[in-house]
Amino acid sequence: MAKEGSSDLAKREQRLAYWLLAPTFLILLVIAIYPLFSVFYNSFTNSVFASTAPTEFVGLQNYRGLLSMTIRQVPPRLDESGQPIVDPATGAVQYESAVTVLPREPVRFRPVTQFSLFGTQFVLGATDPNFIRAVWDTIVFAVATVFLELVLGMIVALIVNANFKGRGLMRAIILIPWAIPTAVSSQMWAYMLQPNRTGFFNTVFWYLGLGNGEIPFLSDPAWQLPSMIMIDVWKTTPFMALLLLAGLQLIPADIYEAADVDGAGPVRSFFQLTLPLLKGTIAVALVFRTLDALRVFDLFQIVLGQARYSMASFTYYQLIQNRAMGYSSASSVIIFVVLSVFAVAYMRSLGVKSDDH
Amino acid sequence: MTTKTKQRINRILLWVLIIFMAIWMLFPFYWAINSSFKSEGMLAMTPTTFVPRDPVTRDISFFLRNYQAVFTNQAFLRAIVNSVIVATSVTLLSLAVGSFAGFALGKLRYRGKTATLYVILAMTMFPAIAVLTGLYAIITNLGIPPIASMIITYMLFTLPFTAWVLTAFFRELPTEIFQSAQVDGASPFQTFYMIMLPLTAPAMVTTGLLAFIGAWNEYLFALTFTSIAPDARTLPVIIANFPSQFSMQIPFGEIMAAGIVSSIPLIALVFIFQRRIVAGLTAGAVKG
Repeated sequence: MAKEGSSDLAKREQRLAYWLLAPTFLILLVIAIYPLFSVFYNSFTNSVFASTAPTEFVGLQNYRGLLSMTIRQVPPRLDESGQPIVDPATGAVQYESAVTVLPREPVRFRPVTQFSLFGTQFVLGATDPNFIRAVWDTIVFAVATVFLELVLGMIVALIVNANFKGRGLMRAIILIPWAIPTAVSSQMWAYMLQPNRTGFFNTVFWYLGLGNGEIPFLSDPAWQLPSMIMIDVWKTTPFMALLLLAGLQLIPADIYEAADVDGAGPVRSFFQLTLPLLKGTIAVALVFRTLDALRVFDLFQIVLGQARYSMASFTYYQLIQNRAMGYSSASSVIIFVVLSVFAVAYMRSLGVKSDDH
Repeated sequence: MTTKTKQRINRILLWVLIIFMAIWMLFPFYWAINSSFKSEGMLAMTPTTFVPRDPVTRDISFFLRNYQAVFTNQAFLRAIVNSVIVATSVTLLSLAVGSFAGFALGKLRYRGKTATLYVILAMTMFPAIAVLTGLYAIITNLGIPPIASMIITYMLFTLPFTAWVLTAFFRELPTEIFQSAQVDGASPFQTFYMIMLPLTAPAMVTTGLLAFIGAWNEYLFALTFTSIAPDARTLPVIIANFPSQFSMQIPFGEIMAAGIVSSIPLIALVFIFQRRIVAGLTAGAVKG
């Protein structure tokens, strides 16, 4: 901009900038920063929503309640002679009930999961197994969906980047799953996943001779997460594909022509040219999507309700159904901290250009 | 193998992939449409049918009562009105406020610019769930009505996004326009309002569309803030927990009909503005 001693003009410009930014920052202060601080503060209290009971400062009690975990060894069940009881049918050692080995005082631990290591049975106990399970499930969900979406999104992006009749139509079609409300797509898929042959999947599996036509996709814990992952992959792969497509379009076509002359096949030119050139785009897309997947709410809340939580639907449940404002605030803070790590990674991979050159 | 046959095989492979992809993307919709034309008896048939069929005669027959039920369902009709009010207001407000910020961030020079850019970028990723409890407390303490609270709180995700994408668009406008207007004696605000703003109209359409879709689909805040105000519920809340007037079981036929109806505006937007939406999405996520 003009430099000829116009410091007056520069000052005016600066003042205007501050005025123009003021409304945005004021709004964000009220709906983001202030509530964030109040959540942080509340997470150290036993505040109960819409209650007349006085709120007390409880220090880290909420965090301890959410995060306390312990690992205990589970002893095998012994018969009268002191020998471990073995199931005669399967040959598996019978273990004591996990609840008996977990501490009960001063707070009660409940089992989250059992695992065996070097022939010894262990139990992971937590004071709030629902939260620990929600965190674990959300992480598994995020890793699985983001990985599958990257692979499938890459295939979709390569397809809609190719030249064919009706490419515009195809690009519009892949936008549809992304555009419709998650509430609608969750209901659509929930109906397709009905636990009997009124559902699409059970009918098709039954026609193919897989299963008895009564697979409980949404109530059997073993099927719940895979079902969630399948729905999310359908809904979000298009978005991933569009991010990758934007990167693909930046690659100049003559690079491929040169590779073609050298006799490199399409597979080799993909792995040796496209993939390395797309590294930046992929990094950004991965972090962006991971951030999104970690805060998944709609899908879990609508399809699984209280059968199984994501971190976000656990927080919602604690606030609305349990009115446990302090407790749910602590869980919010934990989510915020986890997501911030990814957000920082995202901003680093993106970088900010602050001037116009 | 000659080059020609090789090319032909590639072509066929490509089309096989295209068709697979189209089926994968569209089949759930087909299934929803199929189910929306079935009566409860038809929905209960095992195995299920790929087109609506009469349970007795097995002839193809379309049951239209689900759509009738949906369009006479007061809660659903009110939800459409609520969704239109909320999504439109959020979009207009975000564009108005966001274009101010976008202009300052993209074109003006001032101290602390890098910091403000980082704040806006960080805010585009702000997790709504982290402030849910805090916002809910403010809203109930101040007694803000549910529709207004949705309009205000949705700015949490529409405003930073709008400001961020518009910043990128403003930055791309040639600085010469800005300078020559100033030389002609226009104040910076006049330059913004009379010259720059009209030039960004396409960008406004793009960001407006994305803000509208985001607000139309939002579920977490809507569910929380209307938990004791059924009259203020928006479409996602109604569809996730559909209040049927007729059915005792989960009324899947009606839910599918309602879902189709509330997706149609979005599908129309996607087909009309495909290019703009793609441009906006990738600008928001990729451009720095």
